[in-house]
Amino acid sequence: MLHFRTTLLITLLLLLTGACSSNTSSDDQSNFDRAAMLENYGNNIIVPAFESLQTSVDDLQVAAEDFETERTLENLETLQEALKSARLAWQDASPFQFGPSESVLLRASLNTYPVDTGKISDRVSSGEDSFGTIDSRDAAGLPALGYLLHGVGDTNEEILSMYTTDTDADNRLDYLLGNISFVKEKVDTATEDWQASGGDYIGMFLSEENAGTDVGSSLGMLINSYVKHYERFLRDGKIGIPAGVRSAGTPRPLAVEAYYGGYSVELASANLQQVERIFTGGDSRGLDDNLEALGAGDLSSEIQTQIDEAQSALDGLSDPLSQRIEENNDPVLTTFEEMQQVVTLLKADMTSILGITITYQDNDGD
Amino acid sequence: MIPEAIKKHITGRISIAPLAVFRFLFGFIMLVSIIRFAAKGWIYGLYIKPDYFFTFYGFDWVTPLGETGMYLLFLGMGIAALSIMLGYFYRFGIVIFFLTFTYVELIDKTNYLNHYYFVSIVSFLLMFVPAHRSFSLDILRKPSLRRNYVPAWTINMFKLQLGLVYFFAGVAKLNPDWLLNAMPLQIWLPANADLPIVGPLLEYTASAYIFSWAGAFYDLTITFFLLWKRTRIPAYLAVIVFHMFTWFLFQIGMFPFIMILCTLIFFSSDFHQKVIRFISSFTNFLPFSQPESKATDKKAFQINGSKKSIISSILIIHFILQFLVPLRFMLYPGNIFWTEQGFRFSWRVMLMEKAGHATFHIRNPETGNEWQVRNWDYLTPNQEKEMSTRPDMILQFAHHLEDEYQKNFGGDVEVTVTSNVTLNGRRSQLLIDPNVDLTVQERGFAHKDWILPFNEKQQNWFKNLQ
Repeated sequence: MLHFRTTLLITLLLLLTGACSSNTSSDDQSNFDRAAMLENYGNNIIVPAFESLQTSVDDLQVAAEDFETERTLENLETLQEALKSARLAWQDASPFQFGPSESVLLRASLNTYPVDTGKISDRVSSGEDSFGTIDSRDAAGLPALGYLLHGVGDTNEEILSMYTTDTDADNRLDYLLGNISFVKEKVDTATEDWQASGGDYIGMFLSEENAGTDVGSSLGMLINSYVKHYERFLRDGKIGIPAGVRSAGTPRPLAVEAYYGGYSVELASANLQQVERIFTGGDSRGLDDNLEALGAGDLSSEIQTQIDEAQSALDGLSDPLSQRIEENNDPVLTTFEEMQQVVTLLKADMTSILGITITYQDNDGD
Repeated sequence: MIPEAIKKHITGRISIAPLAVFRFLFGFIMLVSIIRFAAKGWIYGLYIKPDYFFTFYGFDWVTPLGETGMYLLFLGMGIAALSIMLGYFYRFGIVIFFLTFTYVELIDKTNYLNHYYFVSIVSFLLMFVPAHRSFSLDILRKPSLRRNYVPAWTINMFKLQLGLVYFFAGVAKLNPDWLLNAMPLQIWLPANADLPIVGPLLEYTASAYIFSWAGAFYDLTITFFLLWKRTRIPAYLAVIVFHMFTWFLFQIGMFPFIMILCTLIFFSSDFHQKVIRFISSFTNFLPFSQPESKATDKKAFQINGSKKSIISSILIIHFILQFLVPLRFMLYPGNIFWTEQGFRFSWRVMLMEKAGHATFHIRNPETGNEWQVRNWDYLTPNQEKEMSTRPDMILQFAHHLEDEYQKNFGGDVEVTVTSNVTLNGRRSQLLIDPNVDLTVQERGFAHKDWILPFNEKQQNWFKNLQ
């Protein structure tokens, strides 16, 4: 009797489901292939970003070794150019601070700014060459290299003399080389961990069990890292903090990225371009297509429009940004506001539509 | 005065077996939940790490007890759960469990979940019943405690409580977004399209509608099907299927299992005798004694005198509140999903997809200086996420910012917020009046008139929806 009733119930349920689904057209099926999107992100955007960062850091090391052998003005300039290339390459990898980059603390190691110039000078004089401690973060990484190659003198001749005739010249060069090795070690580890030939994080990133939308899924981690990067490190770090929005309205021009190199806007612009590329997925499937497939194409185009507006506001500023802030901070604040619009659209609207939770911590819901 | 038919369900004498099994299973699932909670590192992440806690209004005195204190509190809670499960010093265990569990839930409303509230209530009710007088270690310790029969109310009130939970959860689903737009399931189901077998089906809009309507029907009717003997078994199968679905699809933790085990109380005494025999066959080393089936007055549990009137008044008040509290939202103007006034403690489960972004502005009225707050300097990501869509938490955080400013710099300060919130797929809109200085607004149960009204006509990002 019981079996009969259960069977009847299940049959009815199946019939009901069958009847309902055959009545609806299949054109509202989104048919979006999330795995293909992740593959595009992993293979065409993330891993290449780390690989080109690795190449540019290798070049940086070569340029520094050349400078060590022949301390000429020409080699100094080549080294300065190599540093700029590495900092530009970092802009493409910086939105991906999860997995390997997170475990080697790549962002904090490579790009903590503003630097503590007093600390760097002390460490140079005392021959201190340990890197990687929390205390040495603002005396290490790419910004410290920027100070060492652009900030220790007013002209390149003066800078060169700090590596040739200055009493600390050899110590300073050692510090420079030690810092580059530290950067290289971090970048190598992160890159190799991503590569299939190394730690194969890419394999995990693309695996089926991580293809969902929950907190630990690949897409969940990518979007959390992406949104967090945009909000805290691009909008705030590169524009808002120097403009004084976090310091009781007092501008902090020294807090720009690449203060000594003087190409802050160029870096921010490259970073925003990467943010846009991540949204569109470059030439292939991206978040924009995912939103469209879900029937939220309007949101997709609105995000793109807002990123473009932020980009044109940003391009309206010119380097050196620290001087712009001191002369007239208003356009910088306007740029910040333009960039702010994107945060809401990404953090609230987009994640909500995609069913992604913005939290970096696992928790129950109800 | 009370008709016999109803009296039977209150004072009528019935087997203690369902109550004893309920106690055992509740203690068991609580023990598992606590171990899981600790293993996931949540004691640290939720109650030790944060610098600030969103207390409940009137419960500001509930604060975390520090690292050692919190671990000890959870240890005590775990031991209490074990004591409930085994029925060993049960009276003591259940009181400790209720107090420690509820204390933890009151520390930070960020972590509020309906199922935690449910656990608090069940443990509260369990304090008043003799659930340890059979199938327990207490009767070995003190054989005179042993009873075979209990008054029907000790079991039926749990059925009533469960019925209220389901019913109000069902009523809450009777809203246009849920029924007409299949929201938020239309967002949540396709997000699980990668699941094997059912995954592809979830991408159909029709699936969201079927799940929405079936869910509402389930919640509204399941209690009646469980109460009626002829539909009980299929109804219980539905309980299992429904809760396992929610477990697969949503990050919902232990709740499905708690409900699956608790609803067993609807089954007959005979069934529970079998469960006891079944469990005993595994845990022979624990000499549980089984209730006998013969009725003798001596073996029936009774309460008399003033104790009886105290307990009955407490329970009557409890159930009146259980009816009224979920309805208190009607005292507030506006859309409850938007304002969340009267939202908690009302069994509104899995009802909305809400996300927001709140930017706090601080202004020094003397200097005119204005700046923005980095929420993440004060809050964990989880706290920030929960806060940015909830007016009461936004207000609390604004007050906290004022306190922090005064502590560090002294002097007066104004705090305003730009909070964009998206609800069930709609374009985000301002939740709070951005011109209102939140430092002069008071906390409390009064209507918050600085919440901007919800624009019902707001564009939905989903093209097929209004």
